[in-house]
Amino acid sequence: MLPKRLNLKRTRASELYYEERNPSPLELVWLNFRANPLAMAGFYFLGFLGFISLFAPWVAPFGANEQFTEALSLPPAWSDDGDLRFLLGTDMLGRDMLSRLLHGAQLTFGVPLLVVLISAVIGIGLGVAAAVSVGVKSSSLKHFLDVLFSIPSLLLALIIVAIIGPGLLNAVIAIGLVMIPQFLHITRNAVVDELPKDYVVASKLNGVSTLYLLSAVIFPNIVSVLVVSFTLALSAAILDIAALGFLGLGAQAPAPEWGAMLAQSLEVSYNSPWVMALPGLALFLTLMSVNIVGEALRSALQQQRETT
Amino acid sequence: MNRVFARQLSLLLITLFLLSVFTFSLSYWFPGNPVTNSSGVSTEHPLFTEIAEARGFQSHIGHQYIAYLQHLFQGDWGLSLQDNTPIWQEFKLRFPATLELAILAMAFALLFGPPLGFIAAIYHRRFADHVITSFSLSGYSIPVFWLAQLSILVFALVLGWVPIAGQINPLFDIVPVTGSIFIDIFLSDSPYRAAALLNALQHMLLPMLVLASTPLVLLTRLTRSAAIDVLKQKYVKGAYARGLSRSEVFFRHVMPNAMQPVLRQMGSAFNLLITNVLIIELIFSWPGIGSWLVRSIFERDYPVIQGGLFILATLILFANIMMNLVHAWRYPQVRQEFYAS
Repeated sequence: MLPKRLNLKRTRASELYYEERNPSPLELVWLNFRANPLAMAGFYFLGFLGFISLFAPWVAPFGANEQFTEALSLPPAWSDDGDLRFLLGTDMLGRDMLSRLLHGAQLTFGVPLLVVLISAVIGIGLGVAAAVSVGVKSSSLKHFLDVLFSIPSLLLALIIVAIIGPGLLNAVIAIGLVMIPQFLHITRNAVVDELPKDYVVASKLNGVSTLYLLSAVIFPNIVSVLVVSFTLALSAAILDIAALGFLGLGAQAPAPEWGAMLAQSLEVSYNSPWVMALPGLALFLTLMSVNIVGEALRSALQQQRETT
Repeated sequence: MNRVFARQLSLLLITLFLLSVFTFSLSYWFPGNPVTNSSGVSTEHPLFTEIAEARGFQSHIGHQYIAYLQHLFQGDWGLSLQDNTPIWQEFKLRFPATLELAILAMAFALLFGPPLGFIAAIYHRRFADHVITSFSLSGYSIPVFWLAQLSILVFALVLGWVPIAGQINPLFDIVPVTGSIFIDIFLSDSPYRAAALLNALQHMLLPMLVLASTPLVLLTRLTRSAAIDVLKQKYVKGAYARGLSRSEVFFRHVMPNAMQPVLRQMGSAFNLLITNVLIIELIFSWPGIGSWLVRSIFERDYPVIQGGLFILATLILFANIMMNLVHAWRYPQVRQEFYAS
């Protein structure tokens, strides 16, 4: 920890004296995070997924639903019966697995990322507003909400889907609606925990406006908590949307969403196991990267708390 | 402790009240007629007006809610829209099946999760720790439906060790009395009870293991990090300094203190398990609440969705409150937190 901080001292020749620059809490976490090679691998994988989600139509060799009737259920290219045109084989309808997986990244990774981002913005905004305006600091409210939020997100999403009907868009709306109160709750708790601290009181005594107090004084100190809860929410959202797709309540049949692809592979999993293995493996790697990044962030956060 | 008990009980009652208001309002939110949505009787049914009256639909909404509660407590949960069977009867058979699976899986996770975590903590940053950590990290990220598919493919289809799905081979002709397959076998007068029990165990093995996997790795991770924290404490060093043996230090000082934060998260392990029950039961055709609820969403069977949601949410709330109580009972320092002010 200590040597890294020394590195941060700006030693420019033009400066008359060496000013010690204190890195912000988020920067400290990032420095800790970068020291973890596994976490960086996960981070790069997520970056790769982000790239694929944006540019899949240009990267993928074929369209997601393009059928090759002469090449049904071909195994991956490295086996004896494989065709080099279809690197990861084809499914029972003769669609290229690699292209479907690449197109599916948008639905299985891009869409949940977007949903969690939107619900995080709304939830955090409301949470801050609730922390400042509602004066109830009673911990009974907190315990009550803790119990209420113990109902799993998938169950709530299922009920919302039952009300508004199945489909990818509705599943996305359901997940978003479930995530917003959770962000609200976490943000409110974090802000309420910070409010009585000395540095906040000092700023208040300086006469800063509420907006400044929240954005420049409190926010930098709670942002790390929010980042960690963001990764948790992202992991849950990816899993829930894939699970809804798997149950046939999210993305519908021809869509290359990985959960829906797994559901379609149920019947052919014995004869062409790669149709089942590949989407699951992609989902597994995605979730693992999100979890590793989240875990590394959490431990970086803990180290930062212990050293300061 | 009494104060904690009263607090948690009132918490349970308030959340249950809110839950019942929510499930009641679902019959308005679902598409279609609210009377049909809550009772399962279509508008063409000859007794429709009587049933609507019994459920208070001629009167204001407060009256309707009270009528809903009355029906709920009397066990009149309406009829299923698919096959017109009373939901309460169906529920009585399905709930024990789910509970049986969930309890066995939770017991399995509790039996193996914390010990693995302790082993990893004792051998911190050594080989055993790395193995357990990577195993738990991958187990935490594996989507449960994929794990179920893979295990069916490997253990049921390729190796043929266990049956693919279901609760028991139907040839055994066990009459479902309670819904819980083990109790049913015990109650039946079939001459092949031992064989039936073996068959039921084989059917149970795969869903139970897949269901246990997620809570198991969660408990392993929690225990590992908690035990690493405790092992750093000065009282552990002090215990060694007083000349206590390794096992004495471990069982008397490390283990009880490390289990405190683990017990706090036990509720979330159970929630994970219930989430996975929904998916696992569908894949393994287990006749429980989870597959019933998911299938009723496909079929737009609104009375069943209402009932199933109420049961699962109640189960989760109840389990969480119980965990809180056990936590406060075993660890006095936690009570302070629950007293609140």
